[in-house]
Amino acid sequence: MRLIARYAKEREGTFEIVTVFESKTQREMISKENPVIRTLAKKHPSAIWFERKMSDDFGIIIEDAFDKRPLVHQERFPKAIHPMQKSFQKNTLDFAEFIPYKYEAIQGDGVFQVSVGPIHAGIIEPGHFHFSQAGEDMLHQEVRHFYKYRAIEKMLEGKTLLEAKPVIERISGNESIAYQTAWRDIVCQAAGTELPLSLRKRHAFLLEMERIIHHLTDLGFIPNDAGFGAALAFASKLSEDARRQLQKVTGHRFGFDAIGFENKVLDISSLHDYLEGLQKDIVFFETWIMDIPSLWDRFDTTGILQKADALKYDTVGVVARASGFPLDRRLEPFYLEHGFEIQTEQSGDVAARFKVRLQEVKNSIVMMQHFLEEDDTHIVTGKINDGDYTAFAESSLGELFMNIEIKEGIIERFFVRDPSFMNWQTLHLMMPNNIIADFPLINKSCDLSYAGNDL
Amino acid sequence: MIQFWNKRVKEGILTENTALDKELEAIKRKIKENVKKKFAGSLAIRMVDSGSCNACEAECNALSNPYYDLERLGIYFVASPRHADVMLLSGLMTFNMTPHVLEAYKQMPEPKWVITLGACPVMEAPFEKTFAVKAPAADHLPVAHHIPGCPPEPLEIIKGILDFLKKI
Repeated sequence: MRLIARYAKEREGTFEIVTVFESKTQREMISKENPVIRTLAKKHPSAIWFERKMSDDFGIIIEDAFDKRPLVHQERFPKAIHPMQKSFQKNTLDFAEFIPYKYEAIQGDGVFQVSVGPIHAGIIEPGHFHFSQAGEDMLHQEVRHFYKYRAIEKMLEGKTLLEAKPVIERISGNESIAYQTAWRDIVCQAAGTELPLSLRKRHAFLLEMERIIHHLTDLGFIPNDAGFGAALAFASKLSEDARRQLQKVTGHRFGFDAIGFENKVLDISSLHDYLEGLQKDIVFFETWIMDIPSLWDRFDTTGILQKADALKYDTVGVVARASGFPLDRRLEPFYLEHGFEIQTEQSGDVAARFKVRLQEVKNSIVMMQHFLEEDDTHIVTGKINDGDYTAFAESSLGELFMNIEIKEGIIERFFVRDPSFMNWQTLHLMMPNNIIADFPLINKSCDLSYAGNDL
Repeated sequence: MIQFWNKRVKEGILTENTALDKELEAIKRKIKENVKKKFAGSLAIRMVDSGSCNACEAECNALSNPYYDLERLGIYFVASPRHADVMLLSGLMTFNMTPHVLEAYKQMPEPKWVITLGACPVMEAPFEKTFAVKAPAADHLPVAHHIPGCPPEPLEIIKGILDFLKKI
């Protein structure tokens, strides 16, 4: 049974621990005086980050956890402050005394440690990686994040769904449309409004557009990290073209504020032309790139995530699909009717993740052609009703889970789990038997979000 | 080969195909002149993300694509603050990132400048001030110039760099 999320909500006198599995949701009430729970990490290793986050956020104690280090709160974060508690209302904090973080590290003769980040060498988000090395060989790697922690969950409390939207769509720039799609589903549920097919098609078109931009960027950057820069030049031109198309359709290069309840008329024939051109380009790209042996020497068998591990660690998205795990939120009638075909590979290595992205771009183009429709529907949503609402979206990175509880018309608790939150926890499994020079390549092949993960 | 020459004659250089091309060319000429005059032909930028949504970084990466190709003007993104003239700062200055940003600034050799990028470092994005946010950046660093936008488009970033060059 796949673990999707585990998080806490504050009630009067108690904390409610919500654990979301694929087929059921468990709720457990614990008292605030003695907020102790038992870990789920023995069965679901990925539960550990959720539980460490709960400890930081609310002060909940995970009695039998093997890892009780803070997760979100870093070296200078004041101790014994649990900012997600309703009673915490400060909007400023002073730096506390520096308490070093104990990294997971392998000790031994000739074994040494390499630290990378939080500011990386390129134009990239901040995060930290800690390696235990024997020469070039990676023995172990630990991922440490939350440098971008902006306290989004707290920021959104007390806002209406409409007020929260500009923030929600900026949680992760790569997944803006996906975040907006999840938000839209929650608005529809809370208002009892059914979305007309034409709007669903428009939104699905935009979501695929966002996916191909993200994938095209990676299709350039992954070979670039294996010393083949020509691919970056070619693919970055394609992703720039796609971004300009997104701007033409939505008025914004990242589709901020693109998902609403109004359908605007599109220039369908020019979009069809564009898609046709892209289709040709991507076929050219594929023929070209599949025929470069030195590249596949680097890709094949590098950074393997075994299928059993992909399952055990509850991975999602491209990472799961490249390890032979057919998991995709688009596996539903609406998408299947419009040409969706799930793309999987078996080998779980860099090559597999690259191929999955390539095939997904091709499949997205087919779907986008089917989603194009002349229409100017405009709907008005009903009044937002109080309740506890959940939505999913398949972002370019994988399954996105969002839960919003509304009380007296405003957000009581906002929780979101980015696909990266699951997949970052599996990165270290891909490292043994590889050399440190392969790390950027493996990391890029997963291309996970820092902003969405850190919140 | 014939196919290649046909295509080359028909399509020309990729960058000549954009609608904004004339404007871009003019800006580029001016930037090149300014970089030559004030930075001996080579301006090194260290991009630091202090807690953005990653859109600003995506746009800075786009500056290297064949449409913009910023390096033609002598402007480089470098991997170390020790190689940089300018820190290009995006993001909200999160509580967790602020000490690292300040450390990176300290590592830059004199003379040095900070340019803020996008709505976050000046608290113009819809993000609110929480305990985890230390923005505006100007509270912590001497900011020489600001490039507005959420995120600023690549062309706006180029224009912003030009404005900065004119100013100093």
